[in-house]
Amino acid sequence: MRLSRRGLLRAGLAGTAATALGGLASGCAVPTGSTGRNMVLWYWSGGLSDTVVKNAKARYGGSVDLDAIQIGGYYRSKLITTLAGRAHIPDIAGLRGEDMASYLPNADQFVDLRTLGAEKLRSRYLDWKWQQAVAPDGSLVGLPIDVGPVVHYYQPAVYEKAGLPHEPADVSRELDTWDKFFTAGERLKKRLPGTYILTDVVSVFEMSIGQGTSRFVDEDRRFIGDGPHVRACWDRAVEAKRRGIVSDIVSGTPDSISATEKGTLPSQLNASWAAGDLKLAYPKTEGHWRVADCPGGPSNVGGSFLAITKACREPERAFEIISWMLDSRNQAQGFVDAGLFPSTPASYAMPKLREPDPFFGGQITMDVFGPAAEKIPVAFNSPYDIALGQPIRDEIKNVGVLGKDPAKAWEDAMDSCRRIAKHLGVAF
Amino acid sequence: MAVAEQTPPAVDRIRPATAPPRTGWRRHWHLYAAISPFYLLFLAFGLIPVGFSLYLSLHRWDGLGSMEWAGLTQYQYLFTDVDFWQSIGNTLIIWALATFPMIFLAMVTAVMLNSAVRFRNAYRFAYFLPNVTSVVAIAIVFGSVFSTNFGLVNALLQAVGLDQVAWLNTPWGIKVAIATLMTWQWTGYNAIIFLAGLQTIPGDLYEAARIDGAGPVQTFFRITLPLLRPTLLFVLVVSTVTGLQSFSEPQVLLQTASNESTFSGGPDHAGRTMVLYFFQQTFDNNDFGYGAAVAWGIFLVVVLFSLINWRLVQRRGEQ
Repeated sequence: MRLSRRGLLRAGLAGTAATALGGLASGCAVPTGSTGRNMVLWYWSGGLSDTVVKNAKARYGGSVDLDAIQIGGYYRSKLITTLAGRAHIPDIAGLRGEDMASYLPNADQFVDLRTLGAEKLRSRYLDWKWQQAVAPDGSLVGLPIDVGPVVHYYQPAVYEKAGLPHEPADVSRELDTWDKFFTAGERLKKRLPGTYILTDVVSVFEMSIGQGTSRFVDEDRRFIGDGPHVRACWDRAVEAKRRGIVSDIVSGTPDSISATEKGTLPSQLNASWAAGDLKLAYPKTEGHWRVADCPGGPSNVGGSFLAITKACREPERAFEIISWMLDSRNQAQGFVDAGLFPSTPASYAMPKLREPDPFFGGQITMDVFGPAAEKIPVAFNSPYDIALGQPIRDEIKNVGVLGKDPAKAWEDAMDSCRRIAKHLGVAF
Repeated sequence: MAVAEQTPPAVDRIRPATAPPRTGWRRHWHLYAAISPFYLLFLAFGLIPVGFSLYLSLHRWDGLGSMEWAGLTQYQYLFTDVDFWQSIGNTLIIWALATFPMIFLAMVTAVMLNSAVRFRNAYRFAYFLPNVTSVVAIAIVFGSVFSTNFGLVNALLQAVGLDQVAWLNTPWGIKVAIATLMTWQWTGYNAIIFLAGLQTIPGDLYEAARIDGAGPVQTFFRITLPLLRPTLLFVLVVSTVTGLQSFSEPQVLLQTASNESTFSGGPDHAGRTMVLYFFQQTFDNNDFGYGAAVAWGIFLVVVLFSLINWRLVQRRGEQ
């Protein structure tokens, strides 16, 4: 047959059409979960220890190919996209602590780990962290990866110059309440003008909420953000502003970095993982920091979970893998590699976690982090908590940054909450 | 499908008369097949998601569980939601603060580039560069430029004897900072567009003007500007559509401590634009139904302002 130009064109077009149709047809046959020998695990950069992931691959390589994928960008939206689309769902998925409240009402997307014998591992983990993975129907959605106990990071040289306690044990003992902490802040400012113990008021509000046992919305879908427990935290943040111990610097900007380096912002109330951020942002200040207890008691920020999705074809094997990856020995490795603070108290006594940290002047930081992690209060975290806590956070920020009248700000916050609660179907 | 319907008659003429007459799509199937990739892709990634968002806006959905019919209640709430109205206001103010200086600067730049200067292509390249730089990188740099104690802007203010301004901590400062960033990013791009417009203006018009004794200013307002109107319309419409959808600029510029929402737009929500509000509702609050309704609200605002722009420039053209 002679090849005409027209014939060629026709063949080309037919080919294109066939490819397009083929694409559509195969689109209908997208697998729900993993295929072949694969066991797909989704997590984010820094979410698990590289060493533990590598060891798990080798250890379980005889039966499955553990395919651990770091998902970049907005992790949660990518995970719920595959779950809602029922396509390419990973077998094992990391769930971030702050997203947990929104996964729990949809616990049916995940395997109830109680059915795989998780109950007998319960004593390994911190009880309050375990309870964060229990859905309203009682099922267990994930095993804890890590926790984020909040501590008081400070620069002892600055505290000493201001005549404040500066040894970790003294700071923990003498600045144990918010009031004493604020008084110390006043002294700091008086002795060293231009030095502030707090960067902004938001951290006071946030850590205070974390120290309590109730938040903004309760189990019965009722708004409780107008209650005395929130009001007390609000008043405390307003008090810090009133006493003039709060800087007007925006945290994370070059201003805050330089002020921290110079020692005019010598303290931070933040979670255990912030130690890594400090080391990264202020390498020149090695040895200039110490860790003490957070005033007002322990609280927690962050800390994640590993869950097994319903799309997993071998839940027993997956459970074997995650319970090994998250045992106390591997969690200790996670702390060494990625600063993931263990959710397994047995790790705290292990030698590699009790090494003196040169960044903190040779302090054994575990002496502060460990006891804090064990005493964190249990609070119900509603899926509506973010939406109904935000207006209050925004308004306390306005008080702190713009100097808005606190009474007016509280009123505005409550007006917003009332409106949003009605929209979301939460009783006000 | 307008293109598909217009194509067949043109093909009839080149088809040999001996071909057996067939009817409808079967006769022209290969032509439809040839244009199909665009339509299939548009269907999958354009039309279906758009349709789905309309469907979604009539429901309550947390992104995972079952959807619950909500009728028009999401829209009802949208129209009474003061936060949404504030975000429209913020967007428009930032848009105006960014667009008008930007158009002026772009025009000046284009006129300068159009005159005979050396290294013209190098300048064009340099002016275009901001537009292909990642917004995230730009926003991080601008965050430093506008920082209170060590920022370049405050250093300049102090050099001329003015007080420091806490740019990223005051409602107006935030808006100005975001607008400046957008101006910097888009001036070069629009200058290139204006330059293309300038080069379509016939040289003999300028020659005639010069013979008649018109100065450069007169030439600009009597010849350049009127003949540049279509280009100006294009630039205005594109700036409106992109400016009203600003998101990354405020998001990255106002990103602070990691345990805070990155979508709240700074103190007094001064930098919370419409799209930022949409993101907050959808991905912070997991309110996908309301998020979809907000997206349609944004669509209406963009359509409205595109129409206004179009009418404004069109009117002047008729006179």
